[in-house]
Amino acid sequence: MGEILVAKGLSKQFGGLQAVADLDLDVRRGEILGVIGPNGAGKSTTFNMIAGALAPSSGTLVFDGKDLTGLPAHAMAARGIIRTFQHNKPFASMTVRENVMVGMHLRLKGSLWRVLLAGTGAVRAEREAVQRADELVAFVGLGDCRDADVDTLSFGQGRLLEIARALASEPRLILFDEPAAGLTLAECERLTDIIRQIAQRGIAVLLIEHDMRFLMALADRVVVLNFGRKIAQGTPAEIRADDTVVQAYLGDLGAMAHA
Amino acid sequence: MSDFFELIVGATASGCIYALVALSYLLITRPTGVINFAVGEWAMVAAFGGFLTLSRFELPYPVGMALVLALMIGVGWLTERIAVRPLVEKGAPPLAPILALLGMLVVFREVVSVGMGPDPQPVPPLFGYGRLELGLLAGSYQSFFIIAVTATVFAAAWYFFERTLAGRSFEAVAIDRRAAALMGINLRRVTALAFAGSAGVAAMAGLLVSPNVSAHYLMGLPLAIQGFTALVIGGVGRVEGALLGGLILAIAEQFTVRYAPIPPGLAQGVPLVLLIAFLLVRPTGLLRARESRA
Amino acid sequence: MKSIAGFLVAALVLSAIAFMLGSYHTDVYRKLLLWITLALGYNFLFGIAGQVAFSHFTFYGIGAYAMVILLFQVGLPLPLAILAGIVVCVVLALVVAIPATRLEGFYLALATLAFAQLFIVVLNEGGSVTGGPGGLANYRLPDILGVRVTGPWYTVVIVFLLLGTLAILWRLDRSWFGRACRAVRDDPQAAQAMGINVNTTRIVAYAVTSALAGVAGMVYAFVDNTVNPPIFGLENSFLLLFMVIVGGSGRHAGAIVGAILLYLLPFFLSPLIGHHHALVFGVVMVAVVLFQPKGLIGIWDHLTARRRMAP
Repeated sequence: MGEILVAKGLSKQFGGLQAVADLDLDVRRGEILGVIGPNGAGKSTTFNMIAGALAPSSGTLVFDGKDLTGLPAHAMAARGIIRTFQHNKPFASMTVRENVMVGMHLRLKGSLWRVLLAGTGAVRAEREAVQRADELVAFVGLGDCRDADVDTLSFGQGRLLEIARALASEPRLILFDEPAAGLTLAECERLTDIIRQIAQRGIAVLLIEHDMRFLMALADRVVVLNFGRKIAQGTPAEIRADDTVVQAYLGDLGAMAHA
Repeated sequence: MSDFFELIVGATASGCIYALVALSYLLITRPTGVINFAVGEWAMVAAFGGFLTLSRFELPYPVGMALVLALMIGVGWLTERIAVRPLVEKGAPPLAPILALLGMLVVFREVVSVGMGPDPQPVPPLFGYGRLELGLLAGSYQSFFIIAVTATVFAAAWYFFERTLAGRSFEAVAIDRRAAALMGINLRRVTALAFAGSAGVAAMAGLLVSPNVSAHYLMGLPLAIQGFTALVIGGVGRVEGALLGGLILAIAEQFTVRYAPIPPGLAQGVPLVLLIAFLLVRPTGLLRARESRA
Repeated sequence: MKSIAGFLVAALVLSAIAFMLGSYHTDVYRKLLLWITLALGYNFLFGIAGQVAFSHFTFYGIGAYAMVILLFQVGLPLPLAILAGIVVCVVLALVVAIPATRLEGFYLALATLAFAQLFIVVLNEGGSVTGGPGGLANYRLPDILGVRVTGPWYTVVIVFLLLGTLAILWRLDRSWFGRACRAVRDDPQAAQAMGINVNTTRIVAYAVTSALAGVAGMVYAFVDNTVNPPIFGLENSFLLLFMVIVGGSGRHAGAIVGAILLYLLPFFLSPLIGHHHALVFGVVMVAVVLFQPKGLIGIWDHLTARRRMAP
């Protein structure tokens, strides 16, 4: 199978509220899976469970054959599941390049003794890291801003930085949290391009999004959630024609009109 | 047995002092999120104010107290104006005002040390040095005075927060700063009021405790730590928490000194150990802050 | 290669100075070097790792007392005492680090403040082990292989302590670990998402810097040949904080500048304000926080129009 992530029976309860119930979901290598649904459908909760920010109340998460259910965020990241943040969260005291280098933490990290004792080995690793960071920064189109302090970036540029930083961790599954939110039309087009290229490299992509036009044009497959449950799954064309989906969105006519 | 009740009265009086210091923190922390380490020094300055007005110039007690309170409220307002407002308006990180206030702590202490010298100075108690016996409970006049004043202050604080518009605006700012501003609450005024009020309460603590311990330029920091411990124990979000925490701390402290088979010096460690224990196990304190009401 | 040469030159120059000073200035110089060492460590903990802790000077005291107690009360030979002292510092640093780093910002400050006070209480009540309020005195560094290390030669020891501490912190700072510390400081949630174990990072930063402070304390024990509770009180912890902030938080150069300035300033100001140098520190501290939050090093950067590598 080409699935890299298989979620079965995923559920999350907050006190009396069932945010997600019995969700089955899978993502294949190199595919772009979109997750949509009206407000409160459980998209963010699902996202956070896969990312390790929330532990599921029940269900399993199997990634590349290994059970990762309930692992914390940094452990998920260590296994190749990397997420971005909807409200950009750059490291404010660093430059663009340095931010991306933090993304390489998992690759660069080693024994502290080696840091203290090793001379040339560590220096070389740092130099290579800088080069790789510059490549990623150029890939997302921020090449001119390499040395800029992140507080000088525009919102759209900050979003690109999020992506570059996420890519630095060499993810096998990348989770995008409403990546188009707050972007101009031109920025959305660039984003679409970047995400397509990421998928072409064999990295699985899962994205939740409200911007229907953006998502339907980009996704290979779409999963629709409502009230914490999956109500439909299929290609964008199939979803557009699906009655239950239209019903779910009747309270959100504006969104469906753009789909 | 009467010994026991005497201890209760004394401990309650100490607890009231801690509670006042805790309330002083609370008044600033709730609406602004700033932790003001300098409250202890405010109490210390007020204690010296008491010394000057009551011992040196021998003014009548109510006059002296009122003068010191008025002065300290002004000092509180001024502190906010100098050390906090410019930072908030500049958009400085939350740590900045705390650091500035730490610097002010040192400034206050040194100014007093330069002006008044390193020796402790006496402050006379309002009702003299006599004892009062109310049934089983017995203690010095000062102890009962402290308890009475603290009860009044806390009742006033409770009333302020629960029943007055100004107090509700404090709560609103504490819950959601931006929303409060959008609803027309004047953030600047709230902050200034918070600092002024806090200084007034701290001044009260300083005036009440100094007859027992004398005014001394180093008395600020231990008081600040005890006050903060009281706040952590009782609950960081509630006025009642300050009172509860202060009483628990004082009772634990005094009863350990009296009845536990450990040397008295080591008993000084009791509040510190309690603080560390609470921080590790239950940092929000015993009483939960009220959730935002719909 | 360049940096090793740099360190050697610094070692030579700083040591040479030691041989040129009379006994009064030697004392000032030694204490200055020790304060710089402490400020460097505290700068890493507070400025780079972002932990607001008041326990740094306490570990200095722990190291000093441990050294004296191990040598003269437990009676260990010098090499063993040094080893045991380092072990004590590291173990205690870890023991405190593990619960302490679970506390966020302000709570950590408070807990370490309480810890610092508690240390003083323990010292005062320690009876004959700690020498109580009077502390321990009338001892001196035992001969090493028949050689008495005193005077400028002991100052050289302090020089190496300083440069060793600087080397360790410099290396750590410019590695993935330093970046991880800054990331955790700036945004712990984002750091987690990058695979950084926030807890472990905090613990290591706290433990390493505290242990370094402890080792500095071990060296300090033979500077005045006396250790007593007032030396290690909270006042000096505040002074450390002021040094780092005034010099420029997060920068090694800032720590050095801040330590030199605030340590030497009282000597120049004493004709004017006697013992009340703390007043000047307080005012300078408030002024720096209000007007130049990047510290003195920020002014220097501005003047040289140099963009910093890692703030």
